[in-house]
Amino acid sequence: MHGLFRWSSKWWPGVIPLIVLWALAAWNNTVPLESDLAARSTAALKDTVLDKSRIALAGRDVTFSAEAFSEEGRRSSVAAVEAVPGVRLVDDQTRLVPEAKPFVWSAERDVVRVTLSGNSPLPASKGKLLEAARADLGGVEVVDHMNLSRGAPPRFDNAALLLLDQIAKLKDGKITLSDTKVSLSGMARDLGGREAIAAALKNLPEGFSVASNEIKAPPYIFQAYKDPVALTLTLTGYVPDNNVHAALVAAAGRKFFSEKVVDNLKASVGAPAGFTNAVVAALGALSRLSTGTLVVSDREVKLSGDAFYDAAPAQIRAGFAKDLPQGWQSKADIPVKPAAAPVDATVCQQLLSDLLAKGTIRFESGLSTLDPDSAGLLDHLIETALRCPTINIEIAGHTDADGPEGFNKALSEKRAEVVTDYLVRAGLPASRFTAVGYGSTQPVASNDTDEGKSHNRRIEFVVKE
Amino acid sequence: MIYLATFHWGWLLGSLLLGFAMGWIAVVQRGQGVSKVTSRWLAVLAAALVAAALAHVIPGRPGYWLDLGLVMFALYLAGCTVGSWLRAWVVSGHAPAA
Repeated sequence: MHGLFRWSSKWWPGVIPLIVLWALAAWNNTVPLESDLAARSTAALKDTVLDKSRIALAGRDVTFSAEAFSEEGRRSSVAAVEAVPGVRLVDDQTRLVPEAKPFVWSAERDVVRVTLSGNSPLPASKGKLLEAARADLGGVEVVDHMNLSRGAPPRFDNAALLLLDQIAKLKDGKITLSDTKVSLSGMARDLGGREAIAAALKNLPEGFSVASNEIKAPPYIFQAYKDPVALTLTLTGYVPDNNVHAALVAAAGRKFFSEKVVDNLKASVGAPAGFTNAVVAALGALSRLSTGTLVVSDREVKLSGDAFYDAAPAQIRAGFAKDLPQGWQSKADIPVKPAAAPVDATVCQQLLSDLLAKGTIRFESGLSTLDPDSAGLLDHLIETALRCPTINIEIAGHTDADGPEGFNKALSEKRAEVVTDYLVRAGLPASRFTAVGYGSTQPVASNDTDEGKSHNRRIEFVVKE
Repeated sequence: MIYLATFHWGWLLGSLLLGFAMGWIAVVQRGQGVSKVTSRWLAVLAAALVAAALAHVIPGRPGYWLDLGLVMFALYLAGCTVGSWLRAWVVSGHAPAA
């Protein structure tokens, strides 16, 4: 032992190369050691859920900063880093993710992108929401401005995913989830989108509720264009269903006696209440114009075009106000078309007969009340009568052979008088017209068939020299 | 410690061999050794450094370098001890001086 002490006093010269060796070792190994320990620490944190996790090494000392989602998670993450072999000290700079109160999440859509913002509870839910947004909105840019926060209501993920599905149905707008309250605003992409969203919101997870739903639907448009040159009536836009579709096309066929109906209508939900009645009334008004356009947008009806004579615009406007369902608004821009050139008696008779060959003045069955569907035809007749101002005209009423002759004669006369009254109200002098009822005495077809009878029930305009 | 040993095994082996060589030479070297007083002070210094390392007083990279230096120094001493012993054993004809 004594020898060992003696020798050891002579060991010092080796310390000099040892110091050199130490310096070299320190020079060569510091950075590799730090990166090795950083990699091991990061690996140790692999299974812990943290946000903004950052590990910095100085020698063997770790500076560990992160935001944890629970106190337990925070502690276990620090312990995991402390347990990494080789780590000497851990400077714990972890803290809990801030708690959001209220916990607000929102998704906003504009023309080109969808922006997700507000709070999200965990990185996993944030990822899930982004992924769902990209899948739902295929092709639309998704921008993520979400922060991570604590304090999300239970079942937040399910609620947010359901709301993301609704964002896909919007053209633009914003959906906000504040704690458990949902607010929606914006414009639905399609007709019926608003209804689809309202239906989907019924499936919100338990505890969530809709605070306000201000989603607007795009306007429900129906258009009709009467082209006097091509003699067509073009219908475009939407109708609620096939029954209404058929009814409107049939009504158009009755009201537009000389035009061919071009039907480009599509069925779609979302029609305003009273749609069918309003459109039928508006088509009736359009039938009284020589050329015109009808645009029904939601509950607003816009009619523009040329009326046949001076008294017509006021009549059309008044009829509109009366026939439109409550809550509907109308806007009529109806100038009167310039009067056509006067014609002589022969041409006048020819024009009147042509009109009455294309259409029939209709009355309610067994009564002398004019069918509103005949308004268009009557206006054409009035326009023609105005072109021959000096000529007297006999308005002749005829019936079929059903029923007693006395009744038929009275009915045909009454109907002829009703037509005469209509012409007088339009501004024609009463002195030019004579109403005559012929009953069934002058049939133009056989009274044995229904078709023949319908030809016999008629009003004729006969020019008297 | 195990981590330090596995990570720096080459350097530590170097220290050990250096110590072994120094111990081997020291037995037959004629030069002047360190005086008792000085070696006592050196021992105190070493103990202080070990205490500082164990107490983790020195932070960051210097702390790591201190640990590394102390481990290398310890192995150097162990090498010296073994070297001197073996040399003494060889010199004295297979009868190591006690």
